[in-house]
Amino acid sequence: MKSLIIASVLLASQVFAADTLHIYTWADYINPALVKRFEKEHHCKVIIDTFDSNEAMYAKLKAGARGYDLIFPSSYIIPLMVGQDMLQPLDHARLANLKNIEPEVLDKIADRAMKHSAPYTFGYTVIGYRTDKVKNIAATWKTFARTDLKKRVTLLNDMRETIGAALKSLGYSLNTRDEKQLAEARDVLIGWKKNIAKFDNEGYKAGVDSAEFTVVHGYSGDLWQVMQSNKKVAVVIPQEGVSASCDEMVIPKTAPNPALAHEMINFLLDGAVSAENMAFIGYLCPNSAGLKQVDKAFLQNPAVTIPADVKARSEIIQDLGDDLKKYTKMWDEVKASS
Amino acid sequence: MKRSLLPGLVLAMVLVFFYAPIAVLVVNSFNASRFGGSWEGFTTKWYAMLWESDDIWDALFTSLKIAALASIAAMILGTLAALALHQFRSRWQRLHLAAITVPLVMPDILMGISLLLFFVAIGMQTGFTTIWIAHVTFCLSYVAMIVLARLQDFDFTLVDAARDLGASRWQTARLVLLPLLMPGIIAGGLLAFTLSIDDYIITFFVQGAGTTTLPLRVYSMIKTSRNMPVINALSSLMLAVTFIAVAISFRLTKRPIHK
Repeated sequence: MKSLIIASVLLASQVFAADTLHIYTWADYINPALVKRFEKEHHCKVIIDTFDSNEAMYAKLKAGARGYDLIFPSSYIIPLMVGQDMLQPLDHARLANLKNIEPEVLDKIADRAMKHSAPYTFGYTVIGYRTDKVKNIAATWKTFARTDLKKRVTLLNDMRETIGAALKSLGYSLNTRDEKQLAEARDVLIGWKKNIAKFDNEGYKAGVDSAEFTVVHGYSGDLWQVMQSNKKVAVVIPQEGVSASCDEMVIPKTAPNPALAHEMINFLLDGAVSAENMAFIGYLCPNSAGLKQVDKAFLQNPAVTIPADVKARSEIIQDLGDDLKKYTKMWDEVKASS
Repeated sequence: MKRSLLPGLVLAMVLVFFYAPIAVLVVNSFNASRFGGSWEGFTTKWYAMLWESDDIWDALFTSLKIAALASIAAMILGTLAALALHQFRSRWQRLHLAAITVPLVMPDILMGISLLLFFVAIGMQTGFTTIWIAHVTFCLSYVAMIVLARLQDFDFTLVDAARDLGASRWQTARLVLLPLLMPGIIAGGLLAFTLSIDDYIITFFVQGAGTTTLPLRVYSMIKTSRNMPVINALSSLMLAVTFIAVAISFRLTKRPIHK
């Protein structure tokens, strides 16, 4: 028993050898074949741990957890991490492949100069539907008000996404701080709520696959996965504009091995690597060199590439600081309505 | 007199609620559909994929290792705590009892974050050891409670008899007390094992780089992974192993003991 404990303590400490890279990310978010290649090229070991929510990851790091070299948080939480002095600046001299990142994606994120973060994946929140059950679908958020679909529709159980959809349906910005606009959006949302089956963040994938739900509000990456296995599922991109989300790569201040973390970022941003990676993970990497090499069928998918005019009207959800309270209050009102 | 249908009905409902979800899981592990919404044909591809998923196996072995080590430590410490609580009735023991009970009712999130803050404060690198310590902490209480319950209707005249017949303190403990308490200790240990292997919240906080346990892995897979049914396959395999283990243990306990 005692020797077992000692052995395991030794094992645990051994992991922190100099040639080890610790990545903290979402599950299956890097092609394992590429990880193996990186290990071989850099004579190192890559250890990947996974988290399932930005907030939990942030809370844990804030409390003092350390040991990670490279983290993949969503864009909106990065200003908060920078504000808390948790991230170290990226050394652009070591990241030649930063030039591959699409400028139009950079225009949408907070850290345009990539001082602390480099975009990894880019996705949208769109509408998924069953082609065999729903006739004459229109490319608008107002679809959620269609009474002929009553109780067959789901909205995301995510305050900012769902209020954002209502705001967009009215032609407003989804980062608005205007209370009058929010009040209008609230009334729209209360109307939608009467029509939907439920607010749902995970189950809608299985639901639309089995036709339990016929129209769902969902993330493009998720819906692309459903479409891969079910030809009766398609997506429609609301013309009013959609919310875009971006996961980025950051190096925490406490990273034991920042040099190797830089190598990994540069590796993942390489065109060929990025193309291979996209095909595996099913999310779009905003990498111009990679997009030239990736399978054309992948790009033609409406869940991956959206029309340029809609793209122009799309926004990334931003951290609103104190004004977030307005959203929370409104969300409570929507949830409490019947 | 006509027999009431009610007990049968209740039994049927309990069985359905217990086993129907498990049946769905096993069926879906052979379903070609990725999302399990509808049946799209028989496949074993998820099992093949599972075979190649090194990180899932790593996570499983981390979980098993922690659960085994944590339940062994909890069995030892919990039994000692129960013995002390049963034997002595001082003010300190009342405090001791409170200290043992608190982890049973404390919310996991509180325990997780406070343990993490503690490890950070003493400068301990989070990892395998910190998960182990955290798991022992909450498992210990359960073992202590179960052993304590067993001690409550324990016939201490047996201990006195052994002492009368010339057994030393140590011999009494080893040959009389321990064997009689063993079912309670084992039951506590099994409970500790189960609690440890599926703990998510506490583990999330005290886990360090390189020690992802199975529940952490599964939660993250729900969010982003394309290969979710691999988990169904793994669960089905674990279920099969559990059933076989239970069947073997039934066999062994039924067999009469020959001397």
